[in-house]
Amino acid sequence: MLNIENLNLSFGDHKVLDDISLEVKKGEVITFIGPSGTGKTSLLRCINLLEKPESGRITLGGLTYDFGSITKKETLNLRRKTAMVFQQYNLFKNKTVLENVMDAQIVVQKKSKKAAHDKSMKELARVGLDGKADAYPHQLSGGQQQRVSIARALAVEPEVILFDEPTSALDPELVGEVLKAIGEVADSGMTIILVTHEMSFAKDISDRVIFMDQGRVAEEGPPEQIFNHSESARTQQFLRKFYTTTH
Amino acid sequence: MDIKYMLEIFPQFLSVIPITILIVVLSAVFGLLLSIPVAAIRIRRIPVLSQLMGAYISFTRSTPILLQLFLFFFGLPVLLQLIGFDITNIGAITAAVVCLIFFNGAYMSEVLRPAYLAIDKGQHEAAESLGYTPFQKMKGIVIPQMAPIALPGLGNAMIHLIHDSSLVFAIGVVDVMGLATIMSGDTFGMKQVEVFLTVALIYWGISMVSEQIIRLLERRKKRVLRKTGYELKEEEAGYSV
Repeated sequence: MLNIENLNLSFGDHKVLDDISLEVKKGEVITFIGPSGTGKTSLLRCINLLEKPESGRITLGGLTYDFGSITKKETLNLRRKTAMVFQQYNLFKNKTVLENVMDAQIVVQKKSKKAAHDKSMKELARVGLDGKADAYPHQLSGGQQQRVSIARALAVEPEVILFDEPTSALDPELVGEVLKAIGEVADSGMTIILVTHEMSFAKDISDRVIFMDQGRVAEEGPPEQIFNHSESARTQQFLRKFYTTTH
Repeated sequence: MDIKYMLEIFPQFLSVIPITILIVVLSAVFGLLLSIPVAAIRIRRIPVLSQLMGAYISFTRSTPILLQLFLFFFGLPVLLQLIGFDITNIGAITAAVVCLIFFNGAYMSEVLRPAYLAIDKGQHEAAESLGYTPFQKMKGIVIPQMAPIALPGLGNAMIHLIHDSSLVFAIGVVDVMGLATIMSGDTFGMKQVEVFLTVALIYWGISMVSEQIIRLLERRKKRVLRKTGYELKEEEAGYSV
């Protein structure tokens, strides 16, 4: 369903992503783990072109886009098939919770106000925040804001939702509610690509885990393999370090 | 002091107040329109153009506006001739308005630029990630958040403009100030205090009205600010020459 071939991204002389290829099936939950600065977030941002790779191809929803020669129209098209949940939530500050979820449906998808409203209330109910429809983002806790941003992503019915470290900016006691919401999205059959440092969550939710190191895929496989029987020394080292420093 | 005389001459000013207002409104509206591309060029740091705009802003803000008025009045026909238009004599009002548009375009671009830069990058990215076109993003997300930040600065610009417009009499425009100098000459300097006091009251009145309009907009701004939870420090947006 989503297919990335030979994606390359550099910032100046620094090669951030080195010839990445990835195939994602419909409904699959894929989690990227790995040390900071290895390109996990950059890869996610390439998929909806917040970063522009210098070469590579992506196929999504039956259409193939060449990163090297992508047009403005193709960029919009690709972005409209994906949705992103950001580390810092990035809810529109000048809009209410409901307007945040509705806006793209009206502005981008040209839905009627009524249809957008009904859809938005449904998605807000799914993340348990239909009661906060008229609040402004700054009146909500970080966990609530992140759940609204999940509803905003769901509301545009994307082919894939990209989660960029969705719990990293949250107070520890708020992490659970967001993970629960993501879990429900995964259960509904949505295709998900997730970058996270929540290892036990990654283990539970993922169909496939990809360990990245220095801009390359170092190892990939089912969570059981990566977390318990990793074949890569680099993965084992990272996980060991991770568990001894944070747990 | 002859208050009766002041009341006598006041009606004569009614005929020239529209000229002052016309100059101010045209300069404010087109100045704002000019300031948008100027600010955009500076924000995007477009090579060459950005440096050019920097020089234009610096020049405009660093030279007396009276001098700029003379430069436009005497220089514009020469410049137009160079590019093929043969207008040896442009109207004083035209020269005044064009000059004040350029002055305000520079001034207001320096209000808009920091207001734009104050908007969190994440707001842009959220809109982009959902497939908003640049225009949709500006209209729905960026400009509504910029407006409350830019308003105090734009309000200042408006008051400055009203005051600066009083200088256009120097190139022969008969606006409020222009009429006052004529009157003061007609009375051989006998009633100067009365004439200029009347003019001061008129400018006070015009400024008060525009201040009320700005205050009305500011009240809306405060509502928006409360909504967004954005703490605005006056010095952050304030701008003065």
